[in-house]
Amino acid sequence: MKKSSLILTISFLTAAGIITSCNKLTEKPNSVVVASQYYKTAADATAAVTAAYNSLNSDPAGDFPMYGRQLNLLVDNNSDNQNFSPSNTNPDVRALGTATYVSANSRIQKNWQQHYYGISKANVAIDNIANIPLNQFADTSLKPRLVREAKFVRALLYFNLVRLFGDVPLILHDASTTGVTQLLAVKRTPKDSVYLQIIADLTDATNLPATYSSANIGRATGGAAHALLAKVYATRRDWTNALAELQQVITAGTFAGATGNYGYALLPNFKDAFQKATKNGPEHIFSAQFATGLGAANTTQFLSQSFTSFNTGVFPIDCISDSSVVQIFDNDDTRKSVSFYTTVYNPATGANVVFNNAYTPYLNKFVDYSLSPLAPQNPSGVNYPIIRYSEILLLYAEVQNELNGGPTADAYTAINTVRTRAYAGVPHYLALGLSQFDFRDAVFLERRKEFIQEGQRWFDLVRRGINPNTGNPYLVDALKVIAAKSAGIAAKDTLYPIPQVEIQTNPNLTQNPGWDGH
Amino acid sequence: MSFFLVLPLFVLSQTTPEPLINSVFSGTVTDSKTHAPLEGATVQLKGTTHQVFTDNHGKFYFKTGQKLPAELVVSYVGYETLETTAPGNGVEISLVQSSTHLTEVVVVGYGTQRRTDLTGSVASVSKSLLSQPATSFDNLLQGSVPGISVTQSSGQPGATSTIRVRGGNSISFGNDPLYVIDGFIIYNNNSYVNTGAANGPAINALSTINPSDIESIDILKDASATAIYGSHGANGVVIITTKRGKKGGTEISYSTYLGDQTVAKKLSLLNASQWGALVNDINVSDGKPKTYSDSALAALGAGSDWQSAALRNAFQQNHELSISGGDEKSRYLISGNYYDQNGIILNSGFKRYNGRINYERNVTDKFKISTNIFGSRSIVNAPFGGVYGNTTSAAPSGGFSSILFTSPAAPIKNADGTYNTTSALLSATNPIQDLLTTVNQTYITRVLANIAGEYKFTKDLTLKVTAGADLISSKQNYYSPNFAGSPAGSSTGYAAGGYAAVGNGTATTWLNENTLTYDHTFNEKHSLNVLAGYTTQAEHDETAVASAQKFTNNLTTFNNLASAGTANLPASNSHDQVLNSFLARVSYSYLHKYNVTVSERADGASQLGANNKWGYFPSIGLSWNVDKEDFFERFSNAVTSLKVRLTAGQTGNSNIPAYSSLPSLTPTNYYFGSPQTLSTGLSPNQLGNPDLKWETTTQYNGGVDVGLLHNRINFTFDAYYKKTTDLLLNVPLPLYTGYATKLENIGSVENKGIEIGLNTQNIANKHFSWTSAVVFALNRNKVLSLEPGVASYFPTAPTGLVSPVIVKVGLPVGSFWGYSTGGLLTQTDIDKGTPLLAGVSQQVGDRKYLPLNPGETVITTADKHYLGSAQPKFTASFSNTFNYDGFDLGFFLSGAYGNKLFNQLQQNLERPTLTTNAPTTELDRYSATNPNGSMPKATNAPVTQVTDRYVEDASYIKLKNISLGYTFAGSVLSKIHATKLRVYVSAQNLFTITKYKGFDPEASYYDIDNTKAGIDYGIYPSAKTFLAGLNVTF
Repeated sequence: MKKSSLILTISFLTAAGIITSCNKLTEKPNSVVVASQYYKTAADATAAVTAAYNSLNSDPAGDFPMYGRQLNLLVDNNSDNQNFSPSNTNPDVRALGTATYVSANSRIQKNWQQHYYGISKANVAIDNIANIPLNQFADTSLKPRLVREAKFVRALLYFNLVRLFGDVPLILHDASTTGVTQLLAVKRTPKDSVYLQIIADLTDATNLPATYSSANIGRATGGAAHALLAKVYATRRDWTNALAELQQVITAGTFAGATGNYGYALLPNFKDAFQKATKNGPEHIFSAQFATGLGAANTTQFLSQSFTSFNTGVFPIDCISDSSVVQIFDNDDTRKSVSFYTTVYNPATGANVVFNNAYTPYLNKFVDYSLSPLAPQNPSGVNYPIIRYSEILLLYAEVQNELNGGPTADAYTAINTVRTRAYAGVPHYLALGLSQFDFRDAVFLERRKEFIQEGQRWFDLVRRGINPNTGNPYLVDALKVIAAKSAGIAAKDTLYPIPQVEIQTNPNLTQNPGWDGH
Repeated sequence: MSFFLVLPLFVLSQTTPEPLINSVFSGTVTDSKTHAPLEGATVQLKGTTHQVFTDNHGKFYFKTGQKLPAELVVSYVGYETLETTAPGNGVEISLVQSSTHLTEVVVVGYGTQRRTDLTGSVASVSKSLLSQPATSFDNLLQGSVPGISVTQSSGQPGATSTIRVRGGNSISFGNDPLYVIDGFIIYNNNSYVNTGAANGPAINALSTINPSDIESIDILKDASATAIYGSHGANGVVIITTKRGKKGGTEISYSTYLGDQTVAKKLSLLNASQWGALVNDINVSDGKPKTYSDSALAALGAGSDWQSAALRNAFQQNHELSISGGDEKSRYLISGNYYDQNGIILNSGFKRYNGRINYERNVTDKFKISTNIFGSRSIVNAPFGGVYGNTTSAAPSGGFSSILFTSPAAPIKNADGTYNTTSALLSATNPIQDLLTTVNQTYITRVLANIAGEYKFTKDLTLKVTAGADLISSKQNYYSPNFAGSPAGSSTGYAAGGYAAVGNGTATTWLNENTLTYDHTFNEKHSLNVLAGYTTQAEHDETAVASAQKFTNNLTTFNNLASAGTANLPASNSHDQVLNSFLARVSYSYLHKYNVTVSERADGASQLGANNKWGYFPSIGLSWNVDKEDFFERFSNAVTSLKVRLTAGQTGNSNIPAYSSLPSLTPTNYYFGSPQTLSTGLSPNQLGNPDLKWETTTQYNGGVDVGLLHNRINFTFDAYYKKTTDLLLNVPLPLYTGYATKLENIGSVENKGIEIGLNTQNIANKHFSWTSAVVFALNRNKVLSLEPGVASYFPTAPTGLVSPVIVKVGLPVGSFWGYSTGGLLTQTDIDKGTPLLAGVSQQVGDRKYLPLNPGETVITTADKHYLGSAQPKFTASFSNTFNYDGFDLGFFLSGAYGNKLFNQLQQNLERPTLTTNAPTTELDRYSATNPNGSMPKATNAPVTQVTDRYVEDASYIKLKNISLGYTFAGSVLSKIHATKLRVYVSAQNLFTITKYKGFDPEASYYDIDNTKAGIDYGIYPSAKTFLAGLNVTF
């Protein structure tokens, strides 16, 4: 008995020892990629840049994507084009529809965050691709191309930021490569310096290819860099440089000095600018890509959640037009029916259903009619145009008007090209002989009609500055006439407040004028 | 207690010594009070090793002849050992229940210790509490002992609880105590059973354990007691010992109870015509025509009561059967349990099948082997809805809370009995139908098994080797039909055309412990106990989730993903974690009078930074049994026992997920090409920190244990101070860095408090007894420091609202931060220039915000201030048990004082829109005809600020339990051949006294997140339950 107990004990101990003998404390990262394993090959470099583009159409936490609604809340909902829906229960969204937002507004914070997260991803790509040996790239032109694409994305995001917030921290290297400590106490960089960086990045990006193979369509092109640069210069009122850049994009032979050979042109029908079938067409200089039916990790956008049922009593979830914007169109203008809808065909009953209430018409551009209207629209595959050729033409008209103290013949031609397309090819020319001021008004009115829901209106109102007739910012004048916004709007609203959490975590950041304590 | 000792008459009567040879000597052992037979008592002939056990009638037999009168030593667990002289056959020996805790043995880490020698603060949960019916044992811990606080996250059957021992140490991670079940260490990780396929509040992994399997629960609170668990001891240790067989005959027990549950409280919401009037007021403020004419308003009438339609009377039942027994060499217990609880919300409930085997055998004199195995299968059907709500909308997306928001003017059903989905006030789906048809279930299978071998090299030196495994497997199923509004990925089932998700998760934990114990008493004076050991634990978990949408029909639900039109990207995940430890403890006692315990543990954890894997956790404890001093004898009539304890030590916390210290990347995709194809991107999502190390808690404890009047009154007092440094803190980074947080060891938190436990035996005589217990605890928690230069930050409330909580130096974790208000703005206020809220247009009839300082002209965010904390000023409980012959009556009151809740549900409800319902508080809104109303005028403009209105006092007193039972007397029992039979009725949660307006003052919407404790964003309402049950033993 004594012997057997010893044997039992020993065998028991041995068994237990074997089971647990080799538990090492070194981590085995089964399910995550660790930075030290990565950024070694051309595929890694490509994936790093893809991640930067991802900031345009997705949110890491599944929130509204930047170009799928988040930015729209700041530049369309808080303009004279849109209002919040009465059924919207999110107070932060409602605040942006009534000009009563404060610096703690989560939507303002989210826009800030999404832009900086995108910048971070672009910085990661730029920093790390530099360290990947050139011999890793089968096509040696790929390495500089990828860096320039990342710079294009970074410039686009900083351009939005500097217009929304004014001076912003200028972060050009990622915390994962340089350490986070030195970023913690930075100050806001004056917006002129931010613009210099934007211009430098875009200038480099103009060396990008003019076109891509079919598998790479959707990437930033050299033409997109010129176009964005033109917009940057126009925003800076640097009309001369704006003109030079525009001439690079405007198709050669159409206007004096135009040398563009990117093949840009207006699509014949305004409607086609917002169709799935015609996406990435000659008019689309740069778009945020959205897709339907790709199943895996499908993007969602929230600009067209316009009908979830044919119940006319149900309000659209978020996007409704302000009544003032509908009134600026005459009935011959095809942009009206492309921008708004009141009638939807119900395939279940075969009847057209008319929505008619105090909050109609509803917004139409991003409705994906290839999806059943019985289903909601968040998997809409309509791309979000960030720069269309029609904007280039309107910018050209504006720049000509500014540079020459009044509209030139080219200025008229440019704006009339846009108008003619809008009226389905029937010329609806602008009255000749407009003063510089009136022509400027006409251009901005045309922009309003052309770019409903396209993330332009608030920027345009702010860009125009002070209305000499009233002494108020144009933004304030425009929002004063809307009942829901009139009480809240003030001069301080021409810049968004720096999000409260940012000032909390970095007290070196100052708040924008008029926003302290709000 | 000697005056209660009933001495058997024949012991006193002297009989002539009468030698008996080769005949049977027998007798009975009974309880001195009830005269019930005691089964399994040890009867030993004094001075010999010859001992026998009593059978299930309390009878013992010595089959070999004995010389009479015999000198017997009779002992039984829970009774005072009696030495007596038995004059002859048929003797009845009455044992007295030991009421003194001091002779007890208590379970401590890696062993047991005499309570007299204990230096640490260890509290045991009373047997009467443990016998209460409960879904999960954590439900029983509330108010059980001083210093433990338990808050159920919601009333959902099988939902998680927030359990804190002496407050929360950590801000970001791991505040749950460590559980040790039959020696097996369990880090309760609810993520093991929540794969992400289902949604709604997390499922509680602890609910897999049948609470009635538990024999005892001991809670280790101070460092002297917990430091032996080193890196996982900082939050206290809950030691659970399950029931096991006793020496003696076979015992078969069956117990059951049946119950009925109803909602404890409903919210008071508007009826249809009241709601219509509110809509009209909003229209007017919007400058739009009224929706309802006066006659239309009247026609709305009461409308639908959606809330009541979602609730039901719910049945509950529990059955269990156990067989146990043992002989001189083996003890065993086999039990089975079936538990079924319907939830009070439609289509919700919890079911558990559970089996357990405990077995031990003395293989030889020196070698003992034992095993504890339990297996269970739990099925949870939960109402759908994200626990954090929908991140993009402020309205809760939960299946139940969205019902509260549904307009009463919308009919629930059509005339033909089908659910109405066409009302203009519904979003194309019917929330009751959504609730009923959405599948949201979790199956948890858990096997926890360990084998221990003990080898005694000598009488004093024992080697114990334990090997065990905890295997958890969970399957989650989710289906949102194509007509339902329940969440489906980023949309709804209706939007997705039907959405199905299935998730599988497994978690395996292996544990090997090797300890060597030397236990010897030198010269009957110096008791020495030395423990040394090495343990290693490895954990591996995996999850896989697949989902698909666009189903042409709803027939196969989640069971056939291949029949879907669109597949979503599947997800899988896996982690490995290792903990290696060396431990040592020396306990020394001189005459059981002066005691010292010193312990040290070294822990190495894989998930910490490469430079700091190992941590060292020492402790020292001293105690002095003053009553054992000679000078004390003169007090001994009044003061039976008196002990003073003093301890200090360090414990740790490394409860962070695997890979937290690594700089990791995450996939981020985009589309390129014509046609578009998915292009996979990868980008960093976590900053690495190779220096990441242990969070350390230094704790000091002083305590006194007093027994008065022969231990009829037992009193325990403890005072402690804890300081936690090197906090594992998700330090918020400025978002412009591209990262929201970085995990660092920064900051410190303190907890200090006192605890009082009082147990009294108020009356004790043959027919009637009355015992009471009072538990009182007070804890003060304070953030001492955060990262340099930062005094506070707001944890992001993922609901997209202004965060109601703040983490701020000098305030408790879980503090509320907002404005004070003072009624509504009047024209007089505006005329005299009362400061108005900046950035918001404020008019007569709006909420009036109060400035922090007099003389301010405008209210800004600088006027926000501390509005209270979710942490109570003190908690207390009071329980009483009365016994009158066979009857027992008990009740248990539990309460907290000074705790606040942020009633976010109410805040949301009180922000009316044109389509959602509102609470009846809106009836008293400002209007021209009601200028003195308490609620602001109805508008469509949003002002959702965190104000004192919604930081509500959630102090409460709850009658957690009241029960009346009857235990049948022996005569009845013998007819049915039973040894014990008790029947009872009880009511749980019968009433709650509170000012809190929400469903339940115990709410924790954000579950175990410490910084968001006390946010009530709409929980599963709690139920009151009526039960009837019986326990019978054969």
